[in-house]
Amino acid sequence: MNTSPSSRGRIAADILAVLARWLLGAVFLYMGLNKALHPVEFLKLVRQYDLVQSSLLLNSIAASLPWFEIYCGLLLLAGMAVRGTAVMLIVMLVPFTIMVYRRALAIQAVMAIPFCAVKFDCGCGAGEEFICRKLLENFLLIVFSGWLLAGYGRKLCIRYSLRSCDATTSLTEENGSNSSI
Amino acid sequence: MMPERRPPVRSVLREALLVAAAGSVLAFGANQVSPRGLALTRNYFPAGISHPAPAAHDVASTNGPTPSPAQLLAMRFKEQGLQSVDGRQAAQLFHAPRFQQGKIVFIDARDQQHYREGHIPGAFEFDPYYPEKYFPTALPVCQAAEQIVVYCNGGDCDDSESAAILLKDVGISNQKLFVYTGGIPDWITNGLPVEVGGRNSGNLRSASK
Repeated sequence: MNTSPSSRGRIAADILAVLARWLLGAVFLYMGLNKALHPVEFLKLVRQYDLVQSSLLLNSIAASLPWFEIYCGLLLLAGMAVRGTAVMLIVMLVPFTIMVYRRALAIQAVMAIPFCAVKFDCGCGAGEEFICRKLLENFLLIVFSGWLLAGYGRKLCIRYSLRSCDATTSLTEENGSNSSI
Repeated sequence: MMPERRPPVRSVLREALLVAAAGSVLAFGANQVSPRGLALTRNYFPAGISHPAPAAHDVASTNGPTPSPAQLLAMRFKEQGLQSVDGRQAAQLFHAPRFQQGKIVFIDARDQQHYREGHIPGAFEFDPYYPEKYFPTALPVCQAAEQIVVYCNGGDCDDSESAAILLKDVGISNQKLFVYTGGIPDWITNGLPVEVGGRNSGNLRSASK
């Protein structure tokens, strides 16, 4: 089968985008499960950010966020409402990354250590991590989410978009692309 | 290599809102049916929602020697009408004959896993996040005791404070309640024995200094 360099590049981009979608989905599923299985620990970690002063709000955040992450992870793995889910991931990741950064600065000021030596459990679901590594991870997750939001990663989707016409398009493209992948 | 057929921004946002709405309903539903789910209306932090750990600005604005997290916690206990004990006092209470008579009681305010990994010998388990599970055992013992020493992981752990407040709220006199600020790490550092497994398992482990 002869393929032009541009079509080979496109196929590679398609494969990478699908892998990015699956990776993003798997990360959120894993992180969400870790929190959902230990809700009290997650509640304590959320509390450390001093986000709210109401126990109802604090409990609501700690109770719903893990399951919401699991749900987003499953949507991405299955390839459903991909762009809408990507928006939600960015909406969660950007403020959370800023909060983690600010908390790391506070810890650095108290402990008087280099910024990258700051290590704490940020409530991300992966236990204690060095802050620079955490920020890099979150940056990559935001980039992947942005990539999906830009319209990539639509291969091997059950229903790429909730809009019916897009779904048809997605499936049509899917059928056409399976042979090339 | 731009992807074809970009839907308008409004349509993507509408999809995001749908994802958010459906996800929120599912998330709260999952928490409700999960056996480990959180009770939304319960105040899990009776001592206050704000975390007691010192923030950078607190430390920077303090004149004189910087108080340690344990000292800050001791100050908080005082505000709650609770008393605190240090490692030496906790060891004295542990070795006092009244401990064997059940007049001095140790309460472990950590979760079950940490309790089973090692607790002060004879201490009763009382996880303040699931008080209904532990009240039936711990409450009669606390009512009969003259002194109750509550501990957790030391440092900025305030679960012992939460447990003490819960006990106070159900009628245990705060004159009897003492919070061991150093907690189990301090106990182990002082070379005192810990009991592994359940209460009175007999599986004692001497901690080395």
